[in-house]
Amino acid sequence: MGSYIVKRILLTVPLLIIISFITFVLINLSPLDPAVVVLQAQEVPQITDELIAQTNKALGFDQPFMIQYVNWIMAVVQLDFGNSYVSGEPVWSLMGPAFMNTLKLTLVSSVFIIALSILLGVICAMREGKLLDRSVRGVSFFLTAMPSYWLAAMMIWYFSVKLDLLPTSGMDSYRSYILPVIVITVSYTGIYFRTVRSSMLSNMNEDYVLYARASGLSEKKVTLHILRNSLQVAVSIFCMAIPIVLGSTVVIENVFAWPGLGRLSVKSILSRDFPIIQAYVLMLAVTFVLFNTLSDIINAAMNPRLRKEF
Amino acid sequence: MKKGLTFTSILLLVSAIALLAGCGQSPKEKEGAQTQSVNSQVQTELIYASAKDINDMNPHLYTGSMPAQGMLYESLVENTPDGIKPLLAESWDISEDGKIYTFHLRQDVKFHDGEPFNAEAVKQNIDAVQANAEKHAWIKLSTKITNVKVIDEYTIELTLSEAYYPALVELSMTRPYVFISPKDFKDGGTKDGVSGFHGTGPYKLTAHKVEENATFEANEDYWDGAPAIQKITSKVLPAGETTFLALQKGEINFVFTDDRGADSIDVEAMDQLAESGDYQVVRSEAMNTSMIVANSSRENSPVQETAVREALWFAIDRETISKDIFNGTQTVADTLFSTNVNYAKVDLKKRQYDPEMAKKLLDQAGWTLTDGEGVRTKNGQPLAMKLYYDSNSSSQKIQAELIQYSMKELGVQLEIMGEESTSIANRRATGEYDLLFNQTWGLAYDPQSTIAAFTSDSAYKHTTSGIAQADELYKKIDAVMVSTDEASRQSLYADIMKIVHDEAVFIPITNGRVTVVAPENLDGISFKQTQYELPFEQMNFK
Repeated sequence: MGSYIVKRILLTVPLLIIISFITFVLINLSPLDPAVVVLQAQEVPQITDELIAQTNKALGFDQPFMIQYVNWIMAVVQLDFGNSYVSGEPVWSLMGPAFMNTLKLTLVSSVFIIALSILLGVICAMREGKLLDRSVRGVSFFLTAMPSYWLAAMMIWYFSVKLDLLPTSGMDSYRSYILPVIVITVSYTGIYFRTVRSSMLSNMNEDYVLYARASGLSEKKVTLHILRNSLQVAVSIFCMAIPIVLGSTVVIENVFAWPGLGRLSVKSILSRDFPIIQAYVLMLAVTFVLFNTLSDIINAAMNPRLRKEF
Repeated sequence: MKKGLTFTSILLLVSAIALLAGCGQSPKEKEGAQTQSVNSQVQTELIYASAKDINDMNPHLYTGSMPAQGMLYESLVENTPDGIKPLLAESWDISEDGKIYTFHLRQDVKFHDGEPFNAEAVKQNIDAVQANAEKHAWIKLSTKITNVKVIDEYTIELTLSEAYYPALVELSMTRPYVFISPKDFKDGGTKDGVSGFHGTGPYKLTAHKVEENATFEANEDYWDGAPAIQKITSKVLPAGETTFLALQKGEINFVFTDDRGADSIDVEAMDQLAESGDYQVVRSEAMNTSMIVANSSRENSPVQETAVREALWFAIDRETISKDIFNGTQTVADTLFSTNVNYAKVDLKKRQYDPEMAKKLLDQAGWTLTDGEGVRTKNGQPLAMKLYYDSNSSSQKIQAELIQYSMKELGVQLEIMGEESTSIANRRATGEYDLLFNQTWGLAYDPQSTIAAFTSDSAYKHTTSGIAQADELYKKIDAVMVSTDEASRQSLYADIMKIVHDEAVFIPITNGRVTVVAPENLDGISFKQTQYELPFEQMNFK
């Protein structure tokens, strides 16, 4: 197992290098002169040729492309993403707190998403085709299809403005979490509980279930058995749920004025604050790769056959 | 469907209640109660929503929020509808040749950190601005200051390389010629950042949580008396629904137009708030002009021709734009500058909406429509052009679509392209456009700033350089900026405005205003000469 983990982790290194290079190239493909972008981001009212030349020199844009990339990646390895074009502050000092805020929201939501998905998935599978199964699936279809900004606005209107129970936005106390967490949970549970349900259903038809029943195991034990096997399939999906939620809080963070990564990235894109955009893209990519690796490792731990295939 | 809805609401309610109950009552409850007590604090505190963080508040750079900078920092003089008035300078003398300005400073002013405001502080600040002259090229005064001299503790002398009549106006602007405590300087200057934000203004910055909020408290030692509103909070909220709901709940109680002139909530939402009786909506007089800029110097583009540009002008239905797109909040503009702009009371011929006239002009110019064709042609070239608009402005998009439709009726093929504002600025600088949306600088800056931009490569040089009288225009612009005689200035400005009006290179559409939504019982709401800041210190609750 240990050698599998080491191999699996080593394999991420070339992948991360490729991702970092693509990130850097994509941003540099922009047809705009980077110095002009910096100056516009700083809202300099009028951009002169002297100013452009001066900025190019100061930020090293006058150097060859590969040297720029190597300088950048060497700094990134030390967690130095450069300075924001807009505020001039180190990217990490802006990304760090924003990342933590988004992570808090993501982790709390993920707990709810996973717990609810398992609960609903199991219940629906047990009652397959019955009214309960049909209505839960109907409602979840309805909720997943509903745009989350709309759901969020309705919830704010009802719980914050009308009932005056919760703040409309911001991140002041634990009460600020309630509405965004509900909206994220509602949007994703609908997708994930289906996976649990269908995995349960396919397991129910396996031979081992028939065998267990035939050998007189109680129905409760049989169900637990099915659940254990079904969750193996779901593990990788749940592992990916965290980076997916992390990367898709943009809408929610904008509606709830949550000072997180999603909002930071939108603002940076609008003002073309490239160092922040690069760091954001790279960070998300790394999160995806890491969680993917994690899910492989967990799966391998649960199913020794996977280790051999590797 | 209906069954689904009921079920949904039950599900939502149950989960919300379960969560609430699960959290229980903790000592932290106090924090949560904060938001609810806002309503009772309303009487002394303003909480406004802003789409942007206040950012770096260094007054000598351009990233900070202007309304916030306006609360902290002050300039030597103030620009008012009645002309330049004293602020940190009590009086001033200008030498005969217009090159030497001597300012006599107020003697009762202190920076927020207790440091004295005196001639030495003024010199250090102006020198700090001049040390970063490249960044301030837009403000012509920065290229003309040659020396700053301390005469005595409260007298300072500014020497210019040549006479420059808008000097006082430019010294009155929100940035860069405002003053920060020299104790906040880094390495003896401000261009590489500052260590604090201590100005002389009516409010002090007391707290700032990046991307969340900033708190300003009344400066009790303010030389003009402490302001009535004790505390102002700027809360970062996205424009639209969230801001509207927060206003309804009372978590915020003040919003105003942002520095690009965009309202953070739409007109219907404002009306709804005003109807509730809790809020009032106040609009300033015309502040700037939004317009379409035509590139007169673009080779092979039909917009090179005066007749084509004039036809465009006649073909735009400004009444409909003002009424239907802006609900009357922006008024129809007939000229580049509204008449409340200095020197802009000039008699210029009106070009009202008249599509027949537009057709006639195009026919006369040789752009003819053959039967069965949709587009006019001249020597085989179709009458086709592109209009660029800011893709983040929904109103510009609708205007562009409306104009495109009118042009089609005339036999003009107008392609409309939405782009980021930065990329539009880039096009303006490189001349890669036929037509694009833009706006004038605004009351405090005009006419001099917009007109100075006529000659600037990064601004309107491509717009103006293709017209027949371009050289004459530029000579007059150079002359007006150094003119020391009021009458000749007036006649030069009139000539400049007439040339660009007759050539129809700036096609005005509407005049923008500043909008404020404030609590019903807030008194003293007024406006400054810019669309970028508000005089909070004059407000008080009834």
